[in-house]
Amino acid sequence: MPKHWFWWAMTTACVVWYSTITVYVAIKGGADIKHMLARLDATKAREDKEARED
Amino acid sequence: MTNFNWLLDGSIVGIYLLATMVAGLMVRKYVGKVEHFLVAGREMDVYLGIASLAATEFGIVTCMYTAQNGYEKGFAGSTPGILTAVAMLVVGFTGFVIKPLRDSGVMTIPELFEKKFGPRIRWASGVVIVLGGLLNMGVFLRTGGQFLVLVAGLDVKYLEIMMTALLVGVAVYTILGGMLSVLVTDYMQFIVMSAGLIVVTILILMNVGWENLVTTVETNYGAGGFNPFVNPTMGWSYVVFNLMLNTAAVLTWQTTIARVLAAKDTKTGQRVYTGTGFFFVCRFLIPGIWGIAALASLGPVANTLEAMPRYLSTAVPPGLMGLLIAAMLAADMSTDSSYMLTWGSVIYNDIMAPFRKTRWSEKRGLFWNRSIIAFIGIFLLLYGLWYPLKGDLWTYLGVTGTIYLASISVLLIACCYWPRANSWGAGAAIFISAVIPVTYLVMEQVSSTADLARSIGPYYSGIATYLLAAAAMLIGSLLKPGTNLREETA
Repeated sequence: MPKHWFWWAMTTACVVWYSTITVYVAIKGGADIKHMLARLDATKAREDKEARED
Repeated sequence: MTNFNWLLDGSIVGIYLLATMVAGLMVRKYVGKVEHFLVAGREMDVYLGIASLAATEFGIVTCMYTAQNGYEKGFAGSTPGILTAVAMLVVGFTGFVIKPLRDSGVMTIPELFEKKFGPRIRWASGVVIVLGGLLNMGVFLRTGGQFLVLVAGLDVKYLEIMMTALLVGVAVYTILGGMLSVLVTDYMQFIVMSAGLIVVTILILMNVGWENLVTTVETNYGAGGFNPFVNPTMGWSYVVFNLMLNTAAVLTWQTTIARVLAAKDTKTGQRVYTGTGFFFVCRFLIPGIWGIAALASLGPVANTLEAMPRYLSTAVPPGLMGLLIAAMLAADMSTDSSYMLTWGSVIYNDIMAPFRKTRWSEKRGLFWNRSIIAFIGIFLLLYGLWYPLKGDLWTYLGVTGTIYLASISVLLIACCYWPRANSWGAGAAIFISAVIPVTYLVMEQVSSTADLARSIGPYYSGIATYLLAAAAMLIGSLLKPGTNLREETA
């Protein structure tokens, strides 16, 4: 066990967790942006249609 | 002398800046309403929220003060990060405060206060939030510029010009695209920033070595470098102050709360908190290790804030230097854009509320929101580049942040969970929370009272602010005859 194991464990956890979450969020976050813009597009199209009908 | 290579590293930085600007500007076409501009139409999902929150909460200024903490306090300097992570996880899992806040459908915290405490408290809390937030943000530009100048080996006379150009670039896409531009650029900035932070940390751990880092802390700070309670510059008052400060920030800090309010539903907001929780340990520990590595390599230096960038300027090889600077620019740009937008949102939504007697058109609302962000940018240029910082950076940020964190956290908890809370208590809490930190800051700057300010210290002053704000809420609410607005309208 390395000296000052608590800080060693924290440092290791930071490097491992942060590397993993970066890759995961990079993949899933890109999909989130795509869906968010699609939903905004759909909402805008619906509102435009309603405005024309009014 | 620095390892920055203008052709190789400069190209990496240039490509990053170009890609960010293009992405930020492309989404402006989706902004048709104030709701799109301020909370992205409430369409943000979990992973985009995690990327955005992490990118926003890590700027160059964060890297500088956490590295300074590592340099001056050893591993124990990362204590605030652990406290924040615990608070994030507890709030995320339980939904404490953020659940009723998101369920209410408001766009800012003061808007919720109006339902409970009335329009005057909404306005006053908006002023306090903006005052505390902008004073806090005031030091971002100069500190970020110090890092970039030192790492890239530029002449210090270019600091103002460089940071002005950076701020103008950020302001352009924030003004045009609002929260949508902020979210999309934050996502890119999160990836670039994280890649740079991870790679540089691994390089430092390989080059300096774990044993060397530990020995350096032991030699310079003894047991206090590992345990905040026995560190002579920290102690229980530091831990308690940071526990209060970071818990209050998790509950009320405008940039953090903006992600909850932009989330597509309450559950998503909570998941963003739990997913980002451990990032706050990384946020303190990773630059803290960079600071310890600077101590191991450079030894004692006069300006501890500059130790880490001076060390990195020669420790990071060309090629990686470009990634490091792009990462730090990413960190800074995401923070600046989000801060300008979210504090601007309080100015528009709450401080200007009394001037909107009739409903404004979406076009007029967008115009004012964009103008406010431009004004904040000008303020940052003037205050941010000229304010002379005294004392350590984390303490300055803590004291200025406390101006609003103490009052708004007390008001928010009382608003959500104490039926007896009313406008008298809210007003008293706001007054107390503003007076104590502002008095402390003034005492610190005036030479005749500087010694007294030093003997009290920022931690006791901070703890007193939180406790007295809570006491003011209790006493004020109990003294007011009658009931509160929510009970009256029920």
